[in-house]
Amino acid sequence: MKGKVIAIHSSRGGTGKTIIATNLAATYANEGLNIALLDLDFRAPSLINVFSKGIRGPVKHWLNDFMNGRCTIEQALIDVSEEYNLRGRLLIGLANPTIEAIRDMMGKSRAWEVTAVQKLFSLRSTLFNDMNVDCCIFDTSPGIQYSSINAVISSDVSIIVTTLDSLDIKGVQKMLAEFYDAFEKRTVVLMNKVFPETRIWPNGRQKELISRMEKALKHPIIGVIPCYCDVLQAKRSSLLAIKKPGHPFLRNLQEVAKKLEHI
Amino acid sequence: MLVDKLNQMNKKLDLMVELSGKMLKTQEEFLQGIINKSYRRKAIKLEPDAMTLLSLPISLRKTVIALYKLEEATAEDLARETKRLRAVESASANQLVRMGYLKKKREGRKVYFYIE
Repeated sequence: MKGKVIAIHSSRGGTGKTIIATNLAATYANEGLNIALLDLDFRAPSLINVFSKGIRGPVKHWLNDFMNGRCTIEQALIDVSEEYNLRGRLLIGLANPTIEAIRDMMGKSRAWEVTAVQKLFSLRSTLFNDMNVDCCIFDTSPGIQYSSINAVISSDVSIIVTTLDSLDIKGVQKMLAEFYDAFEKRTVVLMNKVFPETRIWPNGRQKELISRMEKALKHPIIGVIPCYCDVLQAKRSSLLAIKKPGHPFLRNLQEVAKKLEHI
Repeated sequence: MLVDKLNQMNKKLDLMVELSGKMLKTQEEFLQGIINKSYRRKAIKLEPDAMTLLSLPISLRKTVIALYKLEEATAEDLARETKRLRAVESASANQLVRMGYLKKKREGRKVYFYIE
């Protein structure tokens, strides 16, 4: 797992990207690994809400500041491990949620985007060599836009989170063919919010679904996570790995986490 | 009479030679202008951003991605990163320089490619 950068991406919003990213990070940190979790969704920042209870005082440096060259990555990361009583370290980099910051990030030039992707590559050596981080997780924005493309290009493995909704599936197919294959990225697909009505549990039909989806998407499926009403009812801002460590959602995610170690 | 006529013809021929010489010079200057302009156009810096990469052939794309990571590299460094032949990287990087996406500089015997 040492030195791996994982990008969590999706073709459309609402697939559960952030809940996967945050809980995957917390799962690894609970196992004793040192994790950096960066919010690269500069248009719709969400990690600030997930970790609001774990952040003491006002945020001094945002990830935006790092990307704009106004601070170092060490300054932009906040250690929340103590607040959540984690075995390893969980360092989070937050995107600035103010309208001014979002507008600023949306108006960036192509030259700036080149520097941005270089910055994402360069933070590896600081994180992995100087800060003893084991794994870095990028929570990206959905679809094809600079922030998500830059994150995917600079990562080692990408997880595309999708539901069984046909719009999601078609979006993923298109994204894989036109973008991921063009960059020859190691990519896996995670099926999330799979409705119990599909009756794939527990009678082995899960394998059937996986094989059907792998055929359609031409990429491996790393896991299938059912749709849990209590997960949907709970705020997206809740960190299940901390609040409900025995939840079946997390058991599924732990399996994904294990598989990721070997990719 | 005949001599006069021949002299007149001679003068006209001299004038024609002079004019064609001037025409050639003008034509040359005009062509040189076009060449200079196109060179200037070639010198325009292009940004090898992620979206642009999608429109480049995969062989060139790999070189740019390697340079995102290395920031400044010789063809040998690039080859180590992309696991391709040094000659392939050299050709690819020089093509990107000609296209305006990369710059190169010489330091001693080594040539470094970089994104400006």
